[in-house]
Amino acid sequence: MKICVLVKEVPDAAVEKRMDSNSMRLDRSGEKNLNPFDTHAIEAAMQIKEGGAVDVEEVVAVTMGPESAVRALHKAVSLGADRSVHLTDDALADSDVSATGYALAQVLKSESPDLVLLGQQSDDGECYTIGAVVADHLEMPSLTQVIKIDTAADKLTCERQAEYGYDTVEVTLPAVISVGDAINEPRYPSLKAIMGAKKKQLDSKGTGDVEIDASKVGADGSRTRVLAINPPPAKQAGEIIEDEDTNETVEKIVAWLDERKLIA
Amino acid sequence: MSTLELNLHPILPDAEEQMLRETVYAITSSYGQAYTRSLREEDRPPTELWDELAGKGYMGVNIPEEYGGGGLGMLALSAVGEELAAAGCPLLLIVVSPAIAGSILTKHGTEEQKERWLRGIGDGTTKLAFGITEPDAGTNSHNLSTSLKPSEDGGYLLTGQKTYISGVEDADAVLVVARGRNDDGSLGLPSLVIVDVDAPGFTRQEIPMAVKGADKQWTLFFENVEVEEERLIGGFNGGLGPIFDGLNPERIMGAAISTGVGRRALDQGAQYAREREVWGKPIATHQGVAHPLAESKIELELARLMTRKAASLYDAGAKGAGEASNMAKYAAAEAGISCVDNAIQAHGGNGFALEYGLTDMYWGVRVARTAPVSREMVLNYVAEHSLGLPKSY
Repeated sequence: MKICVLVKEVPDAAVEKRMDSNSMRLDRSGEKNLNPFDTHAIEAAMQIKEGGAVDVEEVVAVTMGPESAVRALHKAVSLGADRSVHLTDDALADSDVSATGYALAQVLKSESPDLVLLGQQSDDGECYTIGAVVADHLEMPSLTQVIKIDTAADKLTCERQAEYGYDTVEVTLPAVISVGDAINEPRYPSLKAIMGAKKKQLDSKGTGDVEIDASKVGADGSRTRVLAINPPPAKQAGEIIEDEDTNETVEKIVAWLDERKLIA
Repeated sequence: MSTLELNLHPILPDAEEQMLRETVYAITSSYGQAYTRSLREEDRPPTELWDELAGKGYMGVNIPEEYGGGGLGMLALSAVGEELAAAGCPLLLIVVSPAIAGSILTKHGTEEQKERWLRGIGDGTTKLAFGITEPDAGTNSHNLSTSLKPSEDGGYLLTGQKTYISGVEDADAVLVVARGRNDDGSLGLPSLVIVDVDAPGFTRQEIPMAVKGADKQWTLFFENVEVEEERLIGGFNGGLGPIFDGLNPERIMGAAISTGVGRRALDQGAQYAREREVWGKPIATHQGVAHPLAESKIELELARLMTRKAASLYDAGAKGAGEASNMAKYAAAEAGISCVDNAIQAHGGNGFALEYGLTDMYWGVRVARTAPVSREMVLNYVAEHSLGLPKSY
């Protein structure tokens, strides 16, 4: 089995996010890091590889992004991926989710993975959708919010988190699975893995290398346009119920919820 | 490494160092200051934290790769020390074991000694404490009176007392500085011996300290403790050179830990000042609160830069490592104290409440003004060696 893990370089979690009013995009200057949600996907790949139920030949980290995204790939291989692929091309700049999904699918086609894993969301765009877009282009089944994977030779049994509880879904490979952050506790890299990261194979590819139609990517190839950006509406001040008598407090909370028809 | 290559040392951490720092900080943060506090309450060493970091290769980053370490020198170990402290778990055992004992063994150990001790220090499974200070020979190491006397069976007998020795409760052995007892009964040059913590004739007593860190302080008593020849580093009366090669790493680590604690305190102080509102706006909008924090930040960054220089010079085997290590220790202790003190001041009364954890940090940075070498002795060193002023003691 060959597993590809989609990863992304995002602004470091410690950096306060802000929109650039000129480009109407997220300001991605400053410290960057590997999207923390992707570390769960790498860990899931490593657990399948180490689990022994199937024979995993290799785990490949794949990203699309500017030159600096190499650092996210170094981190991904320090966490266990065997090698990495970097899709980078000026033509890809300002691609929206749909165009990005198409471009990533083209890279994945060149790799022919049996399983594509990715984190549930990026920590910057937070769209939660890239897995579905990629799966559509690859014509593979797609699952989201997966928190448990049981592996067999040509299929997976996945448990996914839903609003109403948990689904257990059997999916035939190849497939695209986006994992929830409850799936595992990602490992920390060892010193040896960090020092060895730059020695692992990293292939840099441009749009021409993976047959990307330039008219379908970049700002012009994107199918969405940002017309305006607005700050989220200010939250109203909450209501604080002092807990003087717990029975009374519970009654007040129940009444508050009931009033808003939040409980049956 | 030649001094020519020294110029290639980056002032900024490279990608590997950044990942190392990030990882050590993340692992240590999952333990945090509450863990350090629980160790004292439960009277036990930081085994879980040490083993987790050692298991991933972070406790011997400075030890040569051929002995199971990371081969990255004091620059990397000082980064580990700083991140541990910044994440709320300053460890003195990382000063004495990989930094002091590891550096000495790397440069002066025989092949057998490296196999027996350095390999374990490299992977963090062996821990060595370091004993030099004596009750009657504080700063003046010429007054050391712990003696090593050749015995009839070809070995040696160690007798004497050491005090303020860190982390012995969690160590396998102690690297002890003693002086050779000559035939005429006089004391000769220093010798360096490795003594097992459970050696017959070796007893110890805990010194209750204000610092509530992960490691304890001890007074050690040696009464005719038998030491075999193979436990001597540098041979009989040959310990002086090895000792000096351990002292600069000790200062560099003292500096790194002080800056780590300072970073933590200052981050906390700044966050509190941003959020705490008294007259309808955050207290940080008052320059009386903001400026002291800004001053501490400048002192801290200067000290971090000097620590980096000291570690780089040491790793390069270049001239000036001693001067830079002393200056880094001095600057880092003062910066650490400034950061914690100004963070406490910004917190008002909360600065003294255990809940905010700043008092846990105070004695840790304050002790760095006094140890491993006092502020005054650093000034003496700089006056004499850097400025050519007359020796004052």
